[in-house]
Amino acid sequence: MTNDKTIINQVHHVENPVLEVHDLTVSYDKKPVLWDVDLTLPYGKLIGIVGPNGAGKSTLIKSVMGLTPNSSGYVKLFDQSLREARGKISYVPQRESVDWDFPASVLDVVLMGRYGKLGLFRRPRKADKDIAMDSLRKVGMEAYEKRQISQLSGGQQQRVFLARALAQQADLYFMDEPFAGVDAATEKAIISLLREMSAKGKTVIVVHHDLQSVTQYFDWVILLNMRLVASGPVEKVFTTELLQETYGGKLTLLSDVGDLIRQQQFPNREKTPDSKSG
Amino acid sequence: MDSFFEFFSFSDPNIRYVVIGSLLLTSSSAIVGTFTFLKKKALVGDAVAHAVLPGVCLSFILSGEKSPIILIIGAFLTGWLSLVLIDIITAKSKLKEDTAIGLILSVFFGIGIFMLTIIQKSGNASQTGLDQFLFGKAASLVGFDLIVFAVIAVILIVSVWLFFKELTLLAFDEEFAVTLGLPVRAIELLLTTLTVLAVVVGIQAVGVVLMAAMLITPAAAARFWTHNITTMIWLAAIFGSLSGLAGAYISYIAPSMPTGPWIVVVISTIAFISFFLAPGRGILYRVKTQRRIKKQINDENILKALYHLGEEGKKFYEKRTLQEILSKRKFEPQALKSGLKRLRSDGYLKNENGYWSFTRAGKRKGQRTVKLHRLWELYLTQYLRIAPDHVHDDADTIEHILTPELEARLEKLLNYPKVDPHQSEIPYG
Ligand SMILES: Nc1ncnc2c1ncn2[C@@H]1O[C@H](COP(=O)(O)OP(=O)(O)O)[C@@H](O)[C@H]1O
Ligand SMILES: [Mg+2]
Repeated sequence: MTNDKTIINQVHHVENPVLEVHDLTVSYDKKPVLWDVDLTLPYGKLIGIVGPNGAGKSTLIKSVMGLTPNSSGYVKLFDQSLREARGKISYVPQRESVDWDFPASVLDVVLMGRYGKLGLFRRPRKADKDIAMDSLRKVGMEAYEKRQISQLSGGQQQRVFLARALAQQADLYFMDEPFAGVDAATEKAIISLLREMSAKGKTVIVVHHDLQSVTQYFDWVILLNMRLVASGPVEKVFTTELLQETYGGKLTLLSDVGDLIRQQQFPNREKTPDSKSG
Repeated sequence: MDSFFEFFSFSDPNIRYVVIGSLLLTSSSAIVGTFTFLKKKALVGDAVAHAVLPGVCLSFILSGEKSPIILIIGAFLTGWLSLVLIDIITAKSKLKEDTAIGLILSVFFGIGIFMLTIIQKSGNASQTGLDQFLFGKAASLVGFDLIVFAVIAVILIVSVWLFFKELTLLAFDEEFAVTLGLPVRAIELLLTTLTVLAVVVGIQAVGVVLMAAMLITPAAAARFWTHNITTMIWLAAIFGSLSGLAGAYISYIAPSMPTGPWIVVVISTIAFISFFLAPGRGILYRVKTQRRIKKQINDENILKALYHLGEEGKKFYEKRTLQEILSKRKFEPQALKSGLKRLRSDGYLKNENGYWSFTRAGKRKGQRTVKLHRLWELYLTQYLRIAPDHVHDDADTIEHILTPELEARLEKLLNYPKVDPHQSEIPYG
């Protein structure tokens, strides 16, 4: 990495980052589950977020997208606030986050990716439908355009969500376990699609489960377990030592302190006049 | 019967007003209720429906008259207050949402009933028609009242039409709507307001007690018939209208009868019919599908047994007795008999003097079942590492389900194997 500015505690920082997370702590129901995350990420890379179950991977990207109610610290995207950057970022939630028994077709769902650009009152037009169909084609689902979403398999649902994100035509993508429930061939197809996107300058951040494929898939990796263990180019931080630190058992002390904060209704951070939230 | 024709000819202008009124009230609450239903907020609808009663009573006590606008304002305020309180309780206390809803519902309704009793004791309740708020009375909607409620109903319908896209997205995936930068809070507020308004107008027709049914039941019934949200909204509106029409008719022939219970009986009947008869989701359809599957499994098992017989000495087209078939697999005598009959009329089997034999199509189908069984056994032992003596029962089910597409994938994955884990040959067609 030529644009490494500094390395602090295994966290590689870059100048002119696409995403800057500054001292982010996220709590659910007063209990902090993610502590003091500080990171910067480079443009145009395929970035993996790795860590054990319950490490806070989903929480991190949700918090960046403004979906968690209780966070302190701040986030900047494209050197802008979240609100200003909304039109340029896209989020692929975990498949289980919605009820698929909803009266909608595949195309209906993909078109939802256009709603942000459409604005209130306006219905999708031909151009939007073309973009949606194009996105479906990219994930190999064009034949399912009219299919009811309740009739899709898990892997197909995942691809529909991916197509919905593509239809947003964003510059920065956050994907929460896009390979969950997807067969090997589809996983390959998706990863080469993501590669293509990053070759075009888009930044793609992916929560990933399978350690085997990390070095093969990603340029940059974020190791997470309730706090940031490391962030940097794969070849620098995807090391046995750091992985052991990430996966080496639950941080019971940290978790117990979190419980204490909740039980005592303690503020997890004292409010300072200049502290901004999420 | 005379009254029936008189009513449904709509020649009397009074009848026309009542009909138009009931149709607007019931269809608009059904349309708004579709989103309440899809957002899984049925209980919230129930709470609002009950919480408007104290508002109605209070406005009456304070103003001393039954002016629709004042009553609506009162109903709107307490309806809203109940929702705000539910939110606050859920957010600030350890109580779960359903507990908070139950709490608010009963407290508000209790206060409402208490106020109603006071009004009734004062002696002018029936004369003002306030008690109609409990069970509804479509026929009491005349003149200015009708205009007010009709206007609100139209506002509801137009709002849903304008915000259709946003309301749908919020019902399906609210978090995604947030990430798009849509004004999610404002749209939530809009839906809440629409729900409260729908309740306020709906209680004119069905009354406070049964209003929740009016909000949710048309949508629940409609959901059985369609997978398209636009169609669903139309159906909900139509189902709502049908019940509204019935209510208006009852109101006409029996002026002393409350309309609410009748409307709800009709909409519930529609819901029950949908529950049983709707294609795809209805019970009857499911039972039929299960029967069909059972028959299919039975028939394929017969073909499989004949194929197994044929494998011994490669004599696939031999004539077989019932005993021979039964020696390969235990069938219920009745199921075997009807299965054989079906297979003959479908052209898979021939019967000569009580002996059964394959046609070409029959052999092909039997062979495919056997092949799928053996492929699946192999898949289980190779990919799931299940012991060979444990795989038979699973394969016995899966062989009937696998589609040609999955069959092809399985063949490719296993690289066209020759034998299964028990060294039986896997036959290719
Ligand atoms: N909505 C929620 N309310 C309360 N706790 C939550 C919620 N979502 C996640 N958590 C908790 O936060 C921690 C991190 O969860 P998550 O970000 O989903 O982990 P990961 O995605 O890495 O598996 C877990 O301990 C989980 O139980
Ligand atoms: Mg997760």
